[in-house]
Amino acid sequence: MHTSIRASDTESAQRTVARPALLRLVRHDPLAAIAAAFLLVLVLVALVGPLVTRYTYDREDLDALFQGPQPAHWLGTDQFGRDQFTRIIYGARVSLSVGVSAVIGESLVGVTWGTVAGFYGGAVDHALMRVVDLLIGFPTILLAILVTGIFGPSLVNIVIALVLTAWPATARTIRSEVVSVREREYVEGARAIGASVPRILVRYVVPNVIHLLIVRATLDVSFLVLAEATLSFIGIGVQPPRPSWGQMIYTGFQYLNSHPSLVVIPATALSLTVISFNLVGEALSALLDPRYRRGRA
Amino acid sequence: MARYVVYRVGMAIPLFLGAALLIFAAGHLAPGDPVQTVLGDHYTPAAGAMLRHQLGLDRPVAVQFLQYLGGLARLDFGTSYVNPGLRVGDLVGHALPISLRLAALAVVVATLVGTLLGVGAATTQRSALDSLIQVGMVLGLSVPSFVTAAVLVYMFALRWPVLPVAGWGLPQDYVLPVAVLAIPPVAFIARIARSSVGEVLLEDYVRTARSKGIRARRILFRHVLRNAALPVVTTIGLAFGNAIVGAFVVEVLFNIPGIARVAINAILQRDYTVLQATVLVYTALFSIVNLIVDVSYAYLNPRIRY
Repeated sequence: MHTSIRASDTESAQRTVARPALLRLVRHDPLAAIAAAFLLVLVLVALVGPLVTRYTYDREDLDALFQGPQPAHWLGTDQFGRDQFTRIIYGARVSLSVGVSAVIGESLVGVTWGTVAGFYGGAVDHALMRVVDLLIGFPTILLAILVTGIFGPSLVNIVIALVLTAWPATARTIRSEVVSVREREYVEGARAIGASVPRILVRYVVPNVIHLLIVRATLDVSFLVLAEATLSFIGIGVQPPRPSWGQMIYTGFQYLNSHPSLVVIPATALSLTVISFNLVGEALSALLDPRYRRGRA
Repeated sequence: MARYVVYRVGMAIPLFLGAALLIFAAGHLAPGDPVQTVLGDHYTPAAGAMLRHQLGLDRPVAVQFLQYLGGLARLDFGTSYVNPGLRVGDLVGHALPISLRLAALAVVVATLVGTLLGVGAATTQRSALDSLIQVGMVLGLSVPSFVTAAVLVYMFALRWPVLPVAGWGLPQDYVLPVAVLAIPPVAFIARIARSSVGEVLLEDYVRTARSKGIRARRILFRHVLRNAALPVVTTIGLAFGNAIVGAFVVEVLFNIPGIARVAINAILQRDYTVLQATVLVYTALFSIVNLIVDVSYAYLNPRIRY
């Protein structure tokens, strides 16, 4: 393997950088570290959801409406006596699964589109990027309305709508980087030894632009989680009885005067999640920035 | 300048036609037969065929599309699938002005307040006021609008009931919706204004004006604001787009009979003709806003004319 020496070199280089980088994150950006810990807990709780609660999200208890926090119901109950803690956990499942699957979808489409456009250049680039220009200004909510209007409101359709709105920005970022990577010596070298275009793209081009994606994706998740909450809030997102934070906030509004906690709890969960993804994304972009790494290492 | 406007309008037309084609095609790809939806329980093959003929759905797709475009040119959007007596044009005609008025008010408020805050922050850089404004900007941009709405409703309609919780018709009904719509654009206009004014303050001509002994206020209005205005002008277009999209949350929340509510109801009732019309109206709105932004930008900055 002619690449083995190079590969082990970069691996060890990454290892020496990676460990202090994690420590650095805690030391230099404690807020981002807290945010990362919060997200970790949130993901774990969402994964093991049914194990940490005795209730189901739709179990109504008409003898226990609008209860405050208590040992039996950590965050109290809602207007149907449903356990709020359970509903928040299931809401986290919806938010995270929509956010993560939409980000994976838009990254796949965006990276492919941007790489092909940037690598081939010329007329191909021109044609592909005009499509991006056209879609990039189109508001998320309008595409979501078009998609849910045609196919009906559902979880899958929301993800499709979000992928449709988010990928053009990723494609644009990736393309601008591919345009410069394309001219590097190692790509020229790969061509010279007769590597096929798909191999050059997968083996040499994409790995060298993918660092841009990590930061983008983290910041995008926060945007996508918020978009899902907005769609569920206006009633065209996740449909009841399945709980989602946006929909919980909407129903809570009717009881804002008597029981503000029905709005405060899901709104806090949503805001913390969105802000955490933003903090982690910004910390990552500082950590992964080669200039920053070189300056510190 | 005239050439640029012609070019820019020329760019907008294919975009709009493309959107119309997409929306039309989407309607034909949608699952479910509109004729069955309209007739519901009264559906028989004969009645279905008759209605299909009446609606023109038995003609070739290309002919249907041309007829559809012809209708659009006369601002005729057809009738609602769900309420056949209702003309879609009337529905949009009632709802659209309400949303536009709200958006326009929000933009005016956001531009005034945002510029004021941005200039205030730029002229008092690194003071307590500056940092306060900066924290406010971050909050305004990152807190979702329905959360700010909850806070505002709780404070000004429930705790101290000076404003109505929801409703439509009275002047005071505008205050909370406009505030909710204006907060995010206030934050980003303030941010742009701060950095733009901050940059101009460092220019040589400002230093020259100062050294000539011109009063600070005169320098601000004559030299600084004029030159710092361009980036702010472009964000006004953004603010308008933001207000149009934000209307989805605000109209649901405050029970306002605007175009966003029409669109949401159309989705929930699967009223396809109404949905088509609202999406087209939105596409047209965004095309027009982008057009105005680009043209005003070119007018203000001759360097970017093509």
